[in-house]
Amino acid sequence: MTLDAPGQGALVDTADPRRAPGGPGPLGGKRTFRGRTAPSGSRIIAAIARREILLASRRKLVRLLFLFSVIPPVILTVIILVRIFAEQATGAKLGFDPLIQFLHFQAVPVALLAFGLGTPLVAQDRAEDVLFLYATRPVAPWHYGLGKMLAVALPCFGLLLFPGLLIAILRLGITRELDTAAAIAMVAKIGFAGLVVAWGYAGLTVGPSALTKRARWAQLLSFALFLIPGVIGSLVGELLRTDVPPIGAGSAITELLTALLGDGEWGVASTLILVGYGFLGYWVTTARVKREMIP
Amino acid sequence: MSGTAWIEFEGVNLDRGGRPVLRDLSASLGGYAVGLVGANGAGKSTLIGALLGVLRARSGRIRVLGMDLPGAAQQVRTRAGVMAEQAGVFPGGSGVEAVMFAGQLTGLRRKEALRRAHRALDALDVGEERYRPTLGYSTGMRQRCKLAMSLVHDPEILILDEPTVGLDPPGRLQLLELIRDLKTEGRRILISTHILQDAEFLCDELLLLQAGTVAYSGTISALVGTRDEMLIARGPQLGAQLAGVLGAAGVDVLGSGVDELRFRSSSDALRTFWKLVADRSLEVRRLERHALDFEDAVVEAMTGTRATNGAPPRLGERGNEGVAR
Repeated sequence: MTLDAPGQGALVDTADPRRAPGGPGPLGGKRTFRGRTAPSGSRIIAAIARREILLASRRKLVRLLFLFSVIPPVILTVIILVRIFAEQATGAKLGFDPLIQFLHFQAVPVALLAFGLGTPLVAQDRAEDVLFLYATRPVAPWHYGLGKMLAVALPCFGLLLFPGLLIAILRLGITRELDTAAAIAMVAKIGFAGLVVAWGYAGLTVGPSALTKRARWAQLLSFALFLIPGVIGSLVGELLRTDVPPIGAGSAITELLTALLGDGEWGVASTLILVGYGFLGYWVTTARVKREMIP
Repeated sequence: MSGTAWIEFEGVNLDRGGRPVLRDLSASLGGYAVGLVGANGAGKSTLIGALLGVLRARSGRIRVLGMDLPGAAQQVRTRAGVMAEQAGVFPGGSGVEAVMFAGQLTGLRRKEALRRAHRALDALDVGEERYRPTLGYSTGMRQRCKLAMSLVHDPEILILDEPTVGLDPPGRLQLLELIRDLKTEGRRILISTHILQDAEFLCDELLLLQAGTVAYSGTISALVGTRDEMLIARGPQLGAQLAGVLGAAGVDVLGSGVDELRFRSSSDALRTFWKLVADRSLEVRRLERHALDFEDAVVEAMTGTRATNGAPPRLGERGNEGVAR
């Protein structure tokens, strides 16, 4: 029994015992295969990222962390609204703008989400021996690496951009504190920070995942990468009694947000550090995959 | 059943970890189903890696469907379906999701990939189990799922690495029949297997690897020949004393032990054998005829005890010469 139309991918129902060896094909003769071109890299990368996000969204821990990441912006919005209404009611300028603190706080649950999303990604594939499967498809190591990185970076970016959008809409549309240009500038700054931080998070979680077959080890390694450089940076600063660039992810995020939305001095260095973490993770992943895609 | 060559090797040398794995490999394969047979470490997996452009040859030329590798690797992988022995199933989701994902990786859109995934799984008799996580699948289910993953994008060629490993006899037979049906559809299939019965059942052509070189390349019918017969003679010191002289007298000696001698049957061979036995006053306690079957032919080709039986010279002539040793 033919299950598909000619040239559309016929497969055979082998339950039919009347099919004689060497007999005519299920379509009554030989099929003609049309030449098919290799898919674009972006389609493959999108397929990898989409699958990982979909599978992660089914995990309870990831759902919980996602919820935990959505709550702070909502609280922030409520606080800002209360402040504005209080200012309007009393006529006094409270001068309290919790945006930077809240964005920094927002980076913590998003980091946990990245942790939950990214650390099993490559380790699981290595444990299940499926890296060669990717090599049997038109998937290059960089497709794989970028797909996995985006599976972490895109949700993180969305969650980091969310408060910026929320507040911009609030200030532009409800309280009318900002004009359109200022609102766009604020969203752009928060978006830029979100992009850099999300890419850094992806590198800090996917990279360690490529170094081991056990998600637990990847989590430990990732945790160490989040913390240890920052501690080393602080110690060096203490010893030299001077300001050193923020080499830890946490301090880099603080400095980046301060530089973008306030008057920090380490904006460029923080950006480079976070982007560097991202590329390091990407490089480790592609290098490892390149080696293990071989049968 | 052979046609235009769809796999061609010309003087391929490929090293792994500084060690030569494929050595001066030349073969041209045009059968609809080609069996890739060889002992462990013969270079089968390396050859599959080279056919997909994952491994690069140090020298020589590899062509699949007329496309040069590794340059056309992406194109070949798009048109090939691969069921890899050592690889599992995409983890984390259900069977149908794994198959759909395999389709998406070859460029199918999500909806189309899902539709084809269901059809492939239907064809492989995978029922409601397709919705279960792949993590709990039995070996048979995993094999079916892997085959569905290799078929979902309707590939022109199939590369199957030990497809029946771990299956129970009914499951194995069902899978073999399905593969045979895929062959009758006009797909080109390369089957790497240790199980010679599987190769005999499915294949019309054979590539026999021995330590990275071609021990035989050609049709199975040419390898088995006209079902030649072998004579097995047993008696004290028969093999020890006669193997050399019988070979020198032009008889095709297929193997020998101290008290055993095996040679290809013909009236001349038998006459020469009896003459030498009489000359040396040896005792023959038993003489029996044995029809050469596929397994014998393969073993002989691999151990180099078999003369070439008129297999048409192909690109892999060196391989055939190796058989003639």
